[in-house]
Amino acid sequence: MVQSVDSIQQALNQQDYVAERGLATAVFLSLKLGKPLFLEGEAGVGKTEIAKVLSRMLNADLIRLQCYEGLNASSALYEWNYAYQLLHLRLLEASGAGRDAMEAELFSRRFLQSRPLLQAIEASIAGKPPVLLIDEIDRADEEFEAFLLELLSDFQVTIPELGTIKTDQPPVVIVTSNRTREVHDALKRRCLYYWIDYPSFEKELRIVRAKAPDIEPLLAKQITAFIQELRQLDLFKAPGVAETLDWTAALVALDQRALTLDVVAETLGVILKYQDDIDMLTPDALQALHQRALVQAQDVQGV
Amino acid sequence: MYKVSDFDLPILPDGTLHKGGALLHNLLLFGRVCKVLGMDVSPNRMIEVAHALAYIDLGNKLDVYHTMRALIVTRYRDLELFDQAFDLFWRRPTDDWTVLDLPSVGDERRGSMKFLMPAGATPSNGSEDGKPSPQLTLTAIVPTYSQNDILRYKDFAEMKAEELAEARAIMERLPQSLGFRQTRRFEVGKGPSLDLRRALRENMRYQGEILELPTRRLKVKPRPVVLICDISGSMERYTRIFLHFMHIFASTLDQVESFVFSTHLTRITHPIRHKSIDRALEEVGTTVHDWGGGTRTGEALRTFNYRWSRRVLGRGAVVLLITDGWDRGDPDVLRHEAARLQRSCHRFIWLNPLLDLPQYEPLTRGAQALLPSIDDFLPLRNLANLEMIIKELQKINWDARSTPTARQASGMRR
Repeated sequence: MVQSVDSIQQALNQQDYVAERGLATAVFLSLKLGKPLFLEGEAGVGKTEIAKVLSRMLNADLIRLQCYEGLNASSALYEWNYAYQLLHLRLLEASGAGRDAMEAELFSRRFLQSRPLLQAIEASIAGKPPVLLIDEIDRADEEFEAFLLELLSDFQVTIPELGTIKTDQPPVVIVTSNRTREVHDALKRRCLYYWIDYPSFEKELRIVRAKAPDIEPLLAKQITAFIQELRQLDLFKAPGVAETLDWTAALVALDQRALTLDVVAETLGVILKYQDDIDMLTPDALQALHQRALVQAQDVQGV
Repeated sequence: MYKVSDFDLPILPDGTLHKGGALLHNLLLFGRVCKVLGMDVSPNRMIEVAHALAYIDLGNKLDVYHTMRALIVTRYRDLELFDQAFDLFWRRPTDDWTVLDLPSVGDERRGSMKFLMPAGATPSNGSEDGKPSPQLTLTAIVPTYSQNDILRYKDFAEMKAEELAEARAIMERLPQSLGFRQTRRFEVGKGPSLDLRRALRENMRYQGEILELPTRRLKVKPRPVVLICDISGSMERYTRIFLHFMHIFASTLDQVESFVFSTHLTRITHPIRHKSIDRALEEVGTTVHDWGGGTRTGEALRTFNYRWSRRVLGRGAVVLLITDGWDRGDPDVLRHEAARLQRSCHRFIWLNPLLDLPQYEPLTRGAQALLPSIDDFLPLRNLANLEMIIKELQKINWDARSTPTARQASGMRR
């Protein structure tokens, strides 16, 4: 499967992920070179999705690490199980064990709890390299970024009490960022970088059709056209592909066959999540937008 | 612990035993000079210097210089200052005694201190290598207190070019942080939560009996700062010094985002970060296209909110808006966008160069629209204002009025 960019693009398509050539190339190189893939883009353009798709495609486990501020080694890498250690300590004491034996016992593998990063390395050592998703790295702090540097370049972990755990067959690593802050260059340098943009009309239509195969072709075109028009406005938060798909699901659930102005007004909350943005779409503005979308959908040839 | 008497007394090149007392005395004096100049010098550090000097040839001035420099200077920006101090201090005395007048720096060291130049402490072949000793005076870098004082209360707009340079030097020495925030990361230290990992390791030596309970506390970090400066026509007289101010902030603090606006908002975070101020100003000049234009504060804040707020207001940022409040834009937009900005940051501060003037009252429509969403409304017309602002901001670190509604109800005004 990992032979050429074409084969990757096809494989992604088979998993209902419509990927541009650039993204397929980045994924291909990431798999070939064993380098992490750093994906940046607005919220809801399918950054996280690619990791899920890759794990299905490669038939590998998906190990996910959601980042947040204050994320540290004990929640990302490993943690000793203190409660068991203390309990065990009492037992050892009763048995009169010596100091060295005690320490060796207490800090042995059975008291170590692996967290996502160590799990990924251990799974790789066991011969089943997983897909490791490090999601929303921009939410973590600089300390965590620095901590990741060693891991992402050498795929090894040093636990003082146990020694170094290293894998020669690294996991597939996907790092995503919403760019709520700039991630340090040092981290980006160790990765392949790809910026996922909002999709073009054609691409978004294919995504809608792939995710909702039973939808009326006309409705799919109208939805896509409306969203594309909406993104042209000066919004606080433009809708992402995730919103498009939610909206599609909502309209299908409402048994709609074509996009009517009333239904758009009623379901606007599915695609616009800020009051300012909804306020901006006065009835007149909404009608004009709706009209433009219908005309554009009409103009598109084929299904 | 070392004791001074533990050291071998250095031998001078002519073979005579140096009067150790004099060298040590002068060395410690030099340490104090460096400390006054803002370097990180502790008595311990000076003992290390004394220790180190015992290993090198005191007759070689260059070696002595490098030894001291390696041990005393810890920051790049102190290198030049150290060089000048060293040249001045350890130069061969012309008279028996020279009086070196080193003015003080910083708040706690007010008033001028006088140091006696060492006599006979300079190695005899020191300055005879034909190298002209540079004619530098320390007073050029650090203005004396009295000059300093006049300058502190002088309106930025009335400063001459050389005064601006001095003002800049003073600004550079102000504490460059606008308060701290608690991160969610722990460090070793007294605190409310137990550090289980260390508890287990450290109590190993008591055969597993838990006798010591190490604790940890939350780490603190400086808050990110966002500077938004008005460069419209009415602010023209202040634009230059405020750009200097932004340059100093951007080059000394880690997380600073800089913006300027008159009719449009322009982000100058990267251009202003250039090391040399001249290059920085040049680059800002080519980036910004609306110098001295009209003022549309509301539009500028809207652009900021829509384009940048999500990227730069994370982690409890402090926003400093520098403007005189003369606004020609739509006051409704300004009111709305200022309120939104206040809700998305830790503190929204308006610095106004006109506020200190007795005849000034914030009555313009723009000022009226802006004021309800401002946490602190402070004057920024001279250095004294700036010192006060920084002091004030560091005090209100852990202010309880942190929710936007509470902040909107009770802003700190003056």
